[in-house]
Amino acid sequence: MLATLSAEAPRFFTYWNLVFLATALGNTLVMVAVGCGLGVVAGLGLAVLRAKRIVRFAPLRWAAILIVEVFRRIPVLVLLMFVFFTFQLLGLNVRALFVGALAILLRSASLFAENFRAGLESVHPNQWDAAEVMNLGPLATLRRTVLPQAWPVILPPLTIGLVGMVKATSLASQISVLELTFAARQLNQRGFSALIAFGTILVLYFLLSFAIARLGAFAERRLVPKHRRA
Amino acid sequence: MGYTFQWGQATGYIPYLAGGALVALQLAFFGFAIGMVIGAACAAVKVYGPRAARRAVDGYISFFTNTPLLVQIFFLFYALPDAGIFLDSYEAVLAGISLNASAYLAEIQRAGFISVRRSELDAAETLGFSRLQTIRHVVLPHLLKTLYAPLANHYIVMVLGTSIAAIFGVEELTGRALNINSITFRSFEIFTIAAAMYVVLTVAASASLYWFGLYAFRVRAKVF
Repeated sequence: MLATLSAEAPRFFTYWNLVFLATALGNTLVMVAVGCGLGVVAGLGLAVLRAKRIVRFAPLRWAAILIVEVFRRIPVLVLLMFVFFTFQLLGLNVRALFVGALAILLRSASLFAENFRAGLESVHPNQWDAAEVMNLGPLATLRRTVLPQAWPVILPPLTIGLVGMVKATSLASQISVLELTFAARQLNQRGFSALIAFGTILVLYFLLSFAIARLGAFAERRLVPKHRRA
Repeated sequence: MGYTFQWGQATGYIPYLAGGALVALQLAFFGFAIGMVIGAACAAVKVYGPRAARRAVDGYISFFTNTPLLVQIFFLFYALPDAGIFLDSYEAVLAGISLNASAYLAEIQRAGFISVRRSELDAAETLGFSRLQTIRHVVLPHLLKTLYAPLANHYIVMVLGTSIAAIFGVEELTGRALNINSITFRSFEIFTIAAAMYVVLTVAASASLYWFGLYAFRVRAKVF
């Protein structure tokens, strides 16, 4: 197995193949960055919409719950198809990369909303009362009182969720987004062995996930005081 | 918009899709069962094994949790034939799902193993329990209670994960949706129904796992 690998390597790692893989890696990164970046914001927004202390209007809270409960129960592959064919229905001509990023956004927003909600609920209600006594508005309470105490609960599952999203982008290959998995299939179909084609992108995915895990650890160091880290 | 909905063409296939949902549940169940066995072995090695073996298991777990399931299955499906191992699509998908699950289940079970406190075991010894009695009356009830919620959770996640099988031609819920799509071309309608079925399926699975946990182990598990 190793012998075939080393025999094939010089033919596989040529300049243009590396450019091809780099383009694919770039598209994967775009989907992760755009989808998850907006997903974190939207997830926080959905969690806040669900918070009784902030939103007094019950139907708005129910709407937020419905969105989260529906979208986190749909597999990424089905979500991709759904978004893909919704644009067909609307008659809009968008790039496949955009569809991929949007599906990742919908999924990550609904998953992260649950993480944020668990974090917000982990803060004792007295903290909200105390902040209210200090005449802080609901959003100021959230930013200055609740979130700083919620980070220890939010960050670890959020990091795992982000790694999960990196892995979920591999499904965008099914709607022909040129990302890592799609690139590996193309290289495989051009005659390179599955071992080297898929092996290479497995390493790339691993490095990407590892980098995100490090990023999560860094955020934890910055936002969570030492005695509260797991 | 210029698009006319034709729900009638899609709704006729709902029983066919429901059959696919059963395949999804079954695939997740087999994957879960195999993953539990491999995961338990890995967890035991991680807690009690020698250093080198622990390192190896760590590598195994971080490989399977940090790379996409889809690529793992591609690898099994396309690279193993070079080594003389031929898997059909269902077997390759099941193998991929099981191996992937085993890494996550190993971590969950390890957390359970180390959560059994030394003092509980000491208390059992003081009461004169034999080794088997200790396992039966002290360790197992504790494990079932602490592990039920995360395990049930992971099962639901796996049910959603089985949709990947469609890419390899296994006719579960998503695979059947793709089939119908290529017959009727009512794509939007079909995938709306398929998505709704996944929501109903996982809500039903969550509810039944919650009730099962409540009656069998008296755990109020928050299931997905």
